[in-house]
Amino acid sequence: MTMQEDHKDCFVLEGKMALPNQNFAGRLGSRFLIAIRDRKKIMGLKCNPCGKTFVPPREYCEKCWTKIADNWVELGTEGELVNFTVVRYGDRHLPKKPPYILGQIRLDGADTPLVHIVEGIDPRDVESGIRVKAVFAEKTTNTIMDIDHFEPV
Amino acid sequence: MTEYFGTTVADIFATMPKRFKPEEAKEVDIAIGYEATGEGGGKWKATIKHGTLKVETVEGELTGCKTTIHTDAETFVGVTLGKIAALDALSSQKLRVAGDPKFLMLLLPKIFTPYAAPAKKPDAVTARDIIATIAERFRPEKAEGVAMTIGYDLAGEGGGKWTIVIREGKCAVREGLADPLTVKMTMEAKTYAGMMVGTIEAVTAFTSGQVKIEGDMAAAGATAKYFLKYVVPGATEAEELISLRVINSIEQRFATGPVMGRWFAGIREKKFLANRCPKCGRTQIPPREICAWCRVRVHEFVEVGPKGVVTHFDIVYFASPDPLTGAVRDTPYATAYVVFDGATEREAITLDLKQEDIPRLKEGARVRPVWAEVTTGSYRDLIGVELDEEEGSI
Amino acid sequence: MKMHAKNRNVAIIGIGQTSLSSHKEDQNQAEMVHEAVRNALADAGLKIGDIDCIVHGNMELFEMQFAPDLWHSLGTGAYGKDEYRITTGGTTGATLVCAADNLVASGLYDTVLAIGMEKLQEGNTTGGITNMADPLWFRNLQTGALTGTTAQEIIDEFGEERAKRAAMRYRIMMDKHAMLNQRAHRRLGLEYSQMEDLMANSPPLVGELRLIHMCSQSDGACAMIFTSEEKVKQGTKNPPVWMRDHIQVHREETIPNLFGFNKPEVTHHLAARKLFARNGIQDPVAYFDVFEMYDPSAWWAVDWLREFFLLTGDEHLRMLEAGDFDMDGRIPINPSGGVIASNPIGATAMLRLAEAALQIRGDAGGHQIKKEVRHALASGFGGTFWSVLMILEKELNWQEVNHD
Repeated sequence: MTMQEDHKDCFVLEGKMALPNQNFAGRLGSRFLIAIRDRKKIMGLKCNPCGKTFVPPREYCEKCWTKIADNWVELGTEGELVNFTVVRYGDRHLPKKPPYILGQIRLDGADTPLVHIVEGIDPRDVESGIRVKAVFAEKTTNTIMDIDHFEPV
Repeated sequence: MTEYFGTTVADIFATMPKRFKPEEAKEVDIAIGYEATGEGGGKWKATIKHGTLKVETVEGELTGCKTTIHTDAETFVGVTLGKIAALDALSSQKLRVAGDPKFLMLLLPKIFTPYAAPAKKPDAVTARDIIATIAERFRPEKAEGVAMTIGYDLAGEGGGKWTIVIREGKCAVREGLADPLTVKMTMEAKTYAGMMVGTIEAVTAFTSGQVKIEGDMAAAGATAKYFLKYVVPGATEAEELISLRVINSIEQRFATGPVMGRWFAGIREKKFLANRCPKCGRTQIPPREICAWCRVRVHEFVEVGPKGVVTHFDIVYFASPDPLTGAVRDTPYATAYVVFDGATEREAITLDLKQEDIPRLKEGARVRPVWAEVTTGSYRDLIGVELDEEEGSI
Repeated sequence: MKMHAKNRNVAIIGIGQTSLSSHKEDQNQAEMVHEAVRNALADAGLKIGDIDCIVHGNMELFEMQFAPDLWHSLGTGAYGKDEYRITTGGTTGATLVCAADNLVASGLYDTVLAIGMEKLQEGNTTGGITNMADPLWFRNLQTGALTGTTAQEIIDEFGEERAKRAAMRYRIMMDKHAMLNQRAHRRLGLEYSQMEDLMANSPPLVGELRLIHMCSQSDGACAMIFTSEEKVKQGTKNPPVWMRDHIQVHREETIPNLFGFNKPEVTHHLAARKLFARNGIQDPVAYFDVFEMYDPSAWWAVDWLREFFLLTGDEHLRMLEAGDFDMDGRIPINPSGGVIASNPIGATAMLRLAEAALQIRGDAGGHQIKKEVRHALASGFGGTFWSVLMILEKELNWQEVNHD
């Protein structure tokens, strides 16, 4: 028996979800954010056996599982744009108006890239390999947006 | 006074006015009584009315309070500082609330900033120590083109008179007050130190007159951005644990499909349409494409109700936030399991019962639907049910 | 129909837990997960390289972090490994165990690490559950996991006084057990002398369900390592605990049709009936030495004891009143303090199994049962009465029953 397709009784109902919640940055995450907020410094954690420096911070080296939580190193506030994409659609959940550049920035002294927004250069002109520097936010929010954006050196 | 977790009960009440957020309490009209028993305890009454707060100590009976909190002094301090979970204290009855505890748990965090025990360590930091770090905290990139002289006249221990000169992207600190000054700030050295280490809120200090400003007010307000925040030497930054509070608001759309859609088409016409399983004969409410017991397709629709019988019910005293709006529902409210007339015996549906009818609600009560004024084919068409007392209860 | 016949036997060889508390502001989610993983590996005497596959679970709407398996990989050790994520509400922890059991039994992997976690302090669980209810007809009406209907049913069946005393006796018994468990979250120090006071004065939530009856909201994680019989034979650091069998029973999606004029067979009963039959267990109360039950509230616990043990009439109340479920009773329930004491949802059902396994090993510490534990039962629960029941054995010597 074939099914009768009849859409006259199909309704679409509108709903909404607005749940208050919170996120704990944890001890390491807090140190990382507070250094950006109060001292305008970006800190990483170094694994001595692997010789790798990670940012954002993590408790353990993800490769050799050495505890690196206390091995803080100060990274440069400048680095190399190693990869990027251009966000071209607008959405109220996004931090900036499109189009904007979302980049992966390997800070001086770090081995892992930090994802952030690159401004001060036209999306058509941007290319991997350029040097960029952090511009810290005037108004801080205890988030990674306490670095407002990166811009070409 | 006896200290618990380094704090006394009196400290907490003494700081209440400072922690009060009048703009959040505009709609609030409540008197809350507090009774803390044992050493260091006492009775207090906080009257909050349209953005004002009055805190008073009470001798004798607590009267005229909409809600009262009773606990021992240690638990009170522990809960206030977050060292004891409020829910645990409530569960174990160490903390008792006459009135709606949930209401308080939602209200208090909204209208008060949390109590923080004064940090002992920053007290050791003097205004002189902080002034000494000004030049190294200067941010030339923020002060491009700025030229100003700021005078500080700080009285008391660790105080003194200083002039900070910002010019051509450089910053220098000199002893004494220069003339002329762009702005001059006069206060107790302790107040300045407190503001810089964060134990005194700057806005409060300004508005309460603890800081006297002469000259360019705007310049005084702008100074903070030319400097990095002062950090107490040796203080471990990790003492501050960051917690981000967010509300993600997401719009959703749900498709009923043609089978459950018939339910909504029905309630638009103020009718309840169930579909009957050809095998077991049960009347599915709301209608589903397939009977999950018999695993056969269900085609036949039958009208049930509109009246029915309450088989079970829940009276809810603890209203969680409505996820759709964030608003808190009025308590108590009742959800009734209703089997409509003509429906098979297990096909109950959950419906809201009219609040006035709650005291008379019993298992077996007859109910009838309450419809929205305008029905559009949505779950909002059916507001709920009310007791159908003309027929009497069975 | 072939009923859950295993290709090979599966054992638990590592158990790790974090402490369970209402606040974990000093750890982010990945760090909390990692603590449990480290503890499980240390318990098993293994390194992360010995793990072939990871099964990771939580309920993402409960702490509002999307795709947690990605963010948590720093803590789980999933880097470069096969990983599955399980998100089945309250049942998550039990589904994790079922998945790990099946992954090893099937021969797909030798050693599987299962991880359950939750940080309820970060999310809005009741809001989340309410929001997950069918938007078309049940939203805003259901009250999350808070329901007084079962309480009313027990009161209707056994009378108000006896019913209320039974629920409160169970609640205080759980607290007494939790007081012995250093890791438990809520340890209130309740006494049986407080019974009347609590029955009358604990703040009401829904109907006769009061605050004191309800489970906690906890932060915490649990990790367990499962491996094959062949691997066990090569030697283990701690004695293995055998996963004899598990069963999962779902039901049709509407909760209200549990509450019409008569009640269909509850999933817990169906799960127990089928599981005991296929394992030849005639008398579960006599057979098992401990039962770690998923008890979201004292009222549900009282009701469910009857379903799980296939008891009738007031047998379950008589056993409760006689102290049969106490630590030194005939069949101790939840020596750990149960879900009422600690409830990190994504880990909760796994904790039931972990605690039952620790009882078999004799490693439960302060809340170890005095008599020897050879056969243990553990349950999981979630959503619209999804039931999971699991049997653990000390010895690999049970009689296979013909499944047909």
